[in-house]
Amino acid sequence: MVLKIFFPQCCNKADSGLLVGRWIPGQNSAVVLAVIHYPFIPGQVKQYIHQVECSGVDLTVLGSWSMPKEGQEGMESFLRDLSTIFPQGQWLQLSREMGKIGFRCHVLTRDPSKSPFASQVAPIVFGTVCQSEPLFFLDKYDDGPVKMTHWQSEGREGSIIVELMKQASTPVCLLTTWILTLWTSLCSSRILNVRPMRFISSKLSTCVQLSYRTEHLQTVCSPTRATAHNHFMRKANIFVSFFVDVSLGLLLVSWMYRENRIGKLADTLVPAADYVAKELEELLQWLMGAPAGLKMNRALDQVLGRFFLYHIHLWISYIHLMSPFVEMILWYVGLSACLGLTFALSLLSDITALLTFHIYCFYVYGARLYCMTVYGLSSLWRLFRGKKWNVLRQRVDSCSYDLDQLFIGTLLFTILLFLLPTTALYYLVFTLLRLVVVMFQGVLHLSVDFINSFPLFAMGLRLFRSYRLAEGVKFRVLCEEPGTPLHLMMDINPLKVSSVVQTYRTPTYSCYPKDSWLALCKKLFLGELIYPWKHKTTKID
Amino acid sequence: MGADSGSGAAPGPAVSWRKVLWERQPFPDNYVDRRFLEELRRNEGLRQYRYWAVVQEAGLVAQQISCVALFLTLWLYMEQGLLSPSTLLWTGLLCALLGYGLYQALAPRGDSDNHHRTRWSDLQSASIFLSFTFGFSPVLRTLTESVCTDTVYAMTALMLLAHLVAFPYAHPSPPGSLSLNAALFASVCLASRLPGDLHTSGGLDSSSSPSSLHTFTMLCWALLVFALWPCLLQRLRDCAPWVFGCVCVLVGVCGVGGLGSLWPGGAVLLAALLGTVTLLCPLLLIRLQSDKDNIQGPWDEAEIREDLTHFLH
Repeated sequence: MVLKIFFPQCCNKADSGLLVGRWIPGQNSAVVLAVIHYPFIPGQVKQYIHQVECSGVDLTVLGSWSMPKEGQEGMESFLRDLSTIFPQGQWLQLSREMGKIGFRCHVLTRDPSKSPFASQVAPIVFGTVCQSEPLFFLDKYDDGPVKMTHWQSEGREGSIIVELMKQASTPVCLLTTWILTLWTSLCSSRILNVRPMRFISSKLSTCVQLSYRTEHLQTVCSPTRATAHNHFMRKANIFVSFFVDVSLGLLLVSWMYRENRIGKLADTLVPAADYVAKELEELLQWLMGAPAGLKMNRALDQVLGRFFLYHIHLWISYIHLMSPFVEMILWYVGLSACLGLTFALSLLSDITALLTFHIYCFYVYGARLYCMTVYGLSSLWRLFRGKKWNVLRQRVDSCSYDLDQLFIGTLLFTILLFLLPTTALYYLVFTLLRLVVVMFQGVLHLSVDFINSFPLFAMGLRLFRSYRLAEGVKFRVLCEEPGTPLHLMMDINPLKVSSVVQTYRTPTYSCYPKDSWLALCKKLFLGELIYPWKHKTTKID
Repeated sequence: MGADSGSGAAPGPAVSWRKVLWERQPFPDNYVDRRFLEELRRNEGLRQYRYWAVVQEAGLVAQQISCVALFLTLWLYMEQGLLSPSTLLWTGLLCALLGYGLYQALAPRGDSDNHHRTRWSDLQSASIFLSFTFGFSPVLRTLTESVCTDTVYAMTALMLLAHLVAFPYAHPSPPGSLSLNAALFASVCLASRLPGDLHTSGGLDSSSSPSSLHTFTMLCWALLVFALWPCLLQRLRDCAPWVFGCVCVLVGVCGVGGLGSLWPGGAVLLAALLGTVTLLCPLLLIRLQSDKDNIQGPWDEAEIREDLTHFLH
């Protein structure tokens, strides 16, 4: 039966003394928590141990530790005598010589008892250390009846900033929660919940981002303390990312509002829109001719081309109407970037969407026309062969048509077939334009999502305090000589960086491509409208 | 494995061999007795054809080929400007009225109530045809403008071939979808290739598009020839079979003659084709019957002949 002793690394170089800790029942293991140095009065030690036990820590005297320095020979017998003062079932005698790595261990048992071999010791070890927190309140710099060495004897781990924040957090949390309840009640009031307003606010990504941030703040500022580790990490992540976001946003605002950059931006906006419209007009003129040598049906070509040209003309008039107000609008709207970099990016995405609205309209017209042509053709092709789609059975059945149905069906089929190249070309051109815009917006949404969900706090913890995020333990052999006990070094195996990201991601309404490539191609081929970036309606975890 | 020769290891027939596989028998698995191939039936469904009956049936095929030739002749006449579209249009309408009268005259002596109703629905159908065709003619005439002429001719030929192949020769009256649609598609292709009137298009415009009247006439004639004529033919065949034979011959002669007025070589070819189809192919059919060698037996796939009469009670 192998006896396992867990010994803190800091006590390796400690002076000789008494080992205090805890026996793990049923595992034949012992966890050493501290070493009480000489000189001590056994009575005071017993009193201290009793005091600590009253505050909930399970503590016993395990044995003795000796690392004899010069002039301290003869300790061995003294240490053995200690076993009579502190009566225990098993008495450990660990000793180490200066300059050597290996320990020597001697166990005195009073009542030998068998215990089964077990393997799940590590969590119990950490659990024991966690529970023994009151023991670690005394450190090297305190004056007290007993002098101890334990893993926090160099000074308790902590920082002033954290302490200050903990003090200030309660009133700030209360204030923020009150403001947030006011805001949410305003948002859900009847006036703002009318159908068109709801529709618009669900389409504008700025409003969506606003609602996410409100939710995040509500999570962070809830007055209840986080109990579970997950909950705490989530709060910390949200807080840190919000802080970084706002600081980046303020940086951006301060950069943009200096030197009247906003004015310059507004000045280039209207000419940019003009330029886009001119390019579109040239494209349409090219399509109305013989584009790339393709043979188009002249009549349909002219009709479609003129229709789209008139649209562009309307759009440009609208932009010119709005041009005096652009600078003012941009100035005020740009101030909302103070709320965070994500807001600035969402704003940019919304402005792009509004400025390229005519491209979206063209795409919808072209797609609908093409879709109707394709569906009409497929249905009339079935009529051509004398078949029909059976909706009930979801299959193609034969059907005997009337004479007039056949006649009109064939006429329409011929017309649609010969008009297909023209509609297909217009559809192709406008779909490509729309895809370019969608890609750009998608990049913006993805970066917003990244900022929203990346666990900065967890990543920082992993990089700087990696022992706080553990995946397991690993053992390294330090000393394996015959005659001495096997000396292993137990290290915490920190969590892998990829699993840090995966585990501690803040759940957001993530923006991801809705269809696979194959489904997307099929939709494009059939002329169905595509909205490639879909926001999930339920949070993913 | 002969009928009586089991393999050398077959024991004497103290036990008679049964054609079952679930029983262990003292014969090898591939043993057969002298009743082998008893159930073989040769050439079971053999029909005895008579030459002139087959010729009569083949006449319908020849008739349809000549119809197509007639239609192409009309198109050629309009394309070369030898016939004006208005003349053709009025002729077509007249033929339609005559044909309709004949159709009604030959109707079986049934209920006259039905006649009134079908006359009204016929009038409705006719008005739908005419209005749709007239409405779509301007669209149809510029439809194949950008397509190369050779492609148009190739498509037409393909579609007319499909029409001939898919035609329901056994029962032409409800016209088969594929054949009618293929014929109409071909006629639309041809109609868009007609030259236009000299005064509708500008004098400098070399590629003149056909006027709407050309297209309308072409489509009306296509409807007459491919959709309405088979209905009348079916009626004739039902009522007066000997008249049917004469009509087929007449149509064939008209086809050859019409084509001959424009293209004599084509007329000769057409005549040869018609002769082959009508006279030579039946001969081949009958001659080759003697070479038939079908075998049927219990190894054939089972055919389920459903008797659904018990559902009627």
